[in-house]
Amino acid sequence: MTTQTVTLVGLRAVYGSGNRRVTALDGVTTSFAEGTFTAVMGPSGSGKSTLLHCAAGLDRPVEGSVTVDGISLDRLSEDDLTRLRRDRIGFVFQSFNLISSLTAAQNVELPLRLAGRRPPTRDVAAALAAVGLTDRAGHRPAELSGGEQQRVAVARALITRPAVLFADEPTGALDSATSHQVLRLLRGLVDDHGQTVVMVTHDPAAAAYADRILLLADGRLADELTGDLTASSVAARIAATTAEPAW
Amino acid sequence: MVSVRRSTGAFVAVAIGVALVAATMLLLASGRPQTPERLARAAVVVAGPEAGSPADPFPPDRPWSASRTAELVARLAALPGVAAAVPDRTFYAQPLVDGRPPQLHGQRQDAHEGHGWSSARLGGLTLAAGAPPRRPGEVVVDTALGLRPGAPVTLLTAAGGQPYTVTGLLDAPGVHVADEVATALAPGVRAIGLMLSPDADPERVAAAAREVLGGDGRVVTGDGRGVLEPRGDARTRWIGMQVLTATAALAGFVTVFVVAATFAYTVAQRRRELALLRAVGATPRQLRRLLYRHALLVGAGAALAGLLAGAALAPLLGRLLVDVGFEPSTFRVRYTLWPIAVALATGPVVALLAVWTAARRAARVRPLEALREAAVEQRPLGPLRATVGGLLVAAGVAFGFATALAGDPQQGADRALPMVMALVTGAAVLAPVFVGPVTALLTPTVRRRGGAISLLLRAGARTAARRSGATAAPVLLTVAFAVLVSGMIRTSTPVYATNRINAVNAEWVLLPDRAPGLSDQAVEAVSGAAVLPTTVFVDGDTAAEPVRPLTALGIDPATFSAANRMLTVVAGSLSDLHGEGTTVVKASLAGTTTLPDRPYPVVFADGERVPLRVVAVVSDDSFPGDLLLPRAAVRGHDPSALTDAVYLSSPIAPPAGARVVDVATWAAEVDRAEDRLVWLATLLLIGVTAGYGGIAVVNTLLMAAAGRARDLRLLRLAGATRRQVVRLVAVESALVVAVGAALGGVVALVGLLSIRAGLAEQVGAPVDLVVPWSVVGGVVGLCLLLALASSGLPAWRLLRRRSTVHVE
Repeated sequence: MTTQTVTLVGLRAVYGSGNRRVTALDGVTTSFAEGTFTAVMGPSGSGKSTLLHCAAGLDRPVEGSVTVDGISLDRLSEDDLTRLRRDRIGFVFQSFNLISSLTAAQNVELPLRLAGRRPPTRDVAAALAAVGLTDRAGHRPAELSGGEQQRVAVARALITRPAVLFADEPTGALDSATSHQVLRLLRGLVDDHGQTVVMVTHDPAAAAYADRILLLADGRLADELTGDLTASSVAARIAATTAEPAW
Repeated sequence: MVSVRRSTGAFVAVAIGVALVAATMLLLASGRPQTPERLARAAVVVAGPEAGSPADPFPPDRPWSASRTAELVARLAALPGVAAAVPDRTFYAQPLVDGRPPQLHGQRQDAHEGHGWSSARLGGLTLAAGAPPRRPGEVVVDTALGLRPGAPVTLLTAAGGQPYTVTGLLDAPGVHVADEVATALAPGVRAIGLMLSPDADPERVAAAAREVLGGDGRVVTGDGRGVLEPRGDARTRWIGMQVLTATAALAGFVTVFVVAATFAYTVAQRRRELALLRAVGATPRQLRRLLYRHALLVGAGAALAGLLAGAALAPLLGRLLVDVGFEPSTFRVRYTLWPIAVALATGPVVALLAVWTAARRAARVRPLEALREAAVEQRPLGPLRATVGGLLVAAGVAFGFATALAGDPQQGADRALPMVMALVTGAAVLAPVFVGPVTALLTPTVRRRGGAISLLLRAGARTAARRSGATAAPVLLTVAFAVLVSGMIRTSTPVYATNRINAVNAEWVLLPDRAPGLSDQAVEAVSGAAVLPTTVFVDGDTAAEPVRPLTALGIDPATFSAANRMLTVVAGSLSDLHGEGTTVVKASLAGTTTLPDRPYPVVFADGERVPLRVVAVVSDDSFPGDLLLPRAAVRGHDPSALTDAVYLSSPIAPPAGARVVDVATWAAEVDRAEDRLVWLATLLLIGVTAGYGGIAVVNTLLMAAAGRARDLRLLRLAGATRRQVVRLVAVESALVVAVGAALGGVVALVGLLSIRAGLAEQVGAPVDLVVPWSVVGGVVGLCLLLALASSGLPAWRLLRRRSTVHVE
């Protein structure tokens, strides 16, 4: 039996109060197996980003439990949670979120430095090489293209060798050619290194790179797709499930 | 992570604060008493017993009588190692040039002091020309007077003008006369200088001299001789010390206040970046440590820069203090270790204190905030902030009531200061709450043409209440202190003058002109109530208790009671005050309201101990001073006492060295010298707060401009013209100034009202509140000008430099 890297049980997440109360997640239970690539899809407001944030320990659900790499996040203090996130969880944002005053290499080694470790130059170079940016190590974010910035962000997320890599719309700010570069990179991580990857996206073409697609609607799991996925089959299936072809 | 550009604001705030603290501390440490040049060659000086009381902190020492002096001189001169023991006599003497006292050496007290010739050797003074004075009628004067040996000169002493002949010149202030003349004018001696033989050890001689004295005085050597400085210098130094202490305290307070606001602001601006760090794995602890380290670095660097600036500033400020009369002319700035150490420590400590709350808040930043595009600020007030602000305001109000109930002006002032500090800090902490309502109140005035600006202003006030609050804080501080301090002075001055007028039953007053007092000649030339003050001394009840100085007024009972409206006789009769050995005392001094049957022994200025018979007891508010004596008794024991003033019923032609003014002028003038000093001190304090506050306003707004570049470019993208954006920024900063000025005004008003209540309580009559509108207008105008310039100009430049389309 395969190991489940991330397990979510009965997640409920609520925002706001009074009549502005919004239920973002309404009892979601699922898991992500080691060495798999999962895409989470759904219309705006379906709770897909919240799901990712809760699974990554960036946000806390009001109900339910999250286990990452065998450790329950439920009762961890803010400091312990941060440490766990730093060591076992990688996160890639839509807007790259690189620190503009640091070079690519410095951005990559930042999580290790925050953990109080001296980043071996070799590891940083290897991480940058893995995302194909060896010759960009000394550049600052402003001197890099969007795709390059996102690849630096991926290298940064991987430098601590996390158990799972979460990506929130990683290609949302990129054109399609660069998007495919980044997606191929993620696919390669899963295939070649057995990395577990969970990605939120609204792009069927991006989702087609995954092994498995979770469809969310109104904070609940609506459907699940596996097998040989292509952009068009995904799009057709989604349209059939949700009858809301807005995306 | 320490970005130089982002740290500039905090760096500047800390550096200026440290510069202020360093300068005031250096000046404070420099204000040590100086050995008078006149006594520089006397390695050991024997001085009379020290006198002191809370009411008169700078009394002369208790003198020795003529016989005691002679005995001491003989025994001291016989000590091994002592070459000579020279009594130093000091009395009032002022040469007249062209019939008037010359204006020499500014305020220096020693310019109108006379001494016996023998004491010239104590200062190693040698004649610049001519011969020493050998007999009565001969005098050696200061070369600076421009007189030549052989020239006639009129010497004004307490008796009046006397014809003298200049026999020699000295390069020193004051005059020197023959010793027999000095003995007559100053029969009591307060210091005996010991000239030592070349191989004598001063400490050993001092020890021997102490044995000779047996407790009847003090023996000082080396720097310890500073206690012999002229009393006027000691008083001036004391005033300077008060002013510098107040300035240092205020500078420290303002520094912590402004730096805290600046750091809070810096941290708020870096919120997104901090959230990002949290997202990539920084723990809250690490964020706090990062901010502390940053603050420490900035604080240490700024401390160094501030110290250099402060050290350079100190001599300039020192000269200014001497010029305006806050320090004696002997004042020199000395660079000592401890003020430098304090200033260096101030930087990092203040920075750490300032960043403390900001860091705690920053550590609570959620990593997800990095994902949100525009950070909408949370509630304007957290529960902790609301509690702290509420407590501060409550404390301020409590101090306000205490001020209103204060028994005397000093106590009132002591309570008013913490009141204002608590209110200012409380108002600053709560400022974000007021930003929204005040903006809503004031925006209709700018609601024109479409109202886009007004809409943006209201929205901005809602989302950036904390930011606006931080900018309003220095304005609040500046306005509150400037208005309060100047309003307090303006409100209290007329009260004291009115009180004085009410106490006097006379229309005109004879006052000295360019002299410390009126001579007997001048007093005898007019008819009126003359007051001749002298200091008498009462021994402590036990040997350990210090000698107590008392102010005795030499008067004529009939004229004095006619001119004094406040005189209330409790027991006995004022008319019995005549002849040697009688006195009238205040009830608190007598300790009873009936005539005491025991005599009251005092030591006079000539060192004679006289048991006084109390003939009347009067109420405490009857006159300023402690006891009344017959004028002849004062003159008999203190040949150099000078008359303060003569109260006249009609105007007369003033005699030489005197002038006549009406009572209102006199009442306003009595405190004029003091008022001038108080007003200068006020200006200094306002200058410190306003200057620093102004810089803080500029600082915060410049930081705000840099942080808002993105917002402003987005506005341009949305279709705003550059002019509209600059106008928005300008109106926004004007509103912030309005919020700060309004809060500062309220704080000052609360303070002034309680001070007024306290004053009314003390004088027993209603007091008019004087609001110094010129100061209000000036300070608010200055803040407004600075705010407009420092927010509008960077915005204009920013929008000009880069293309509209490029939004980072």
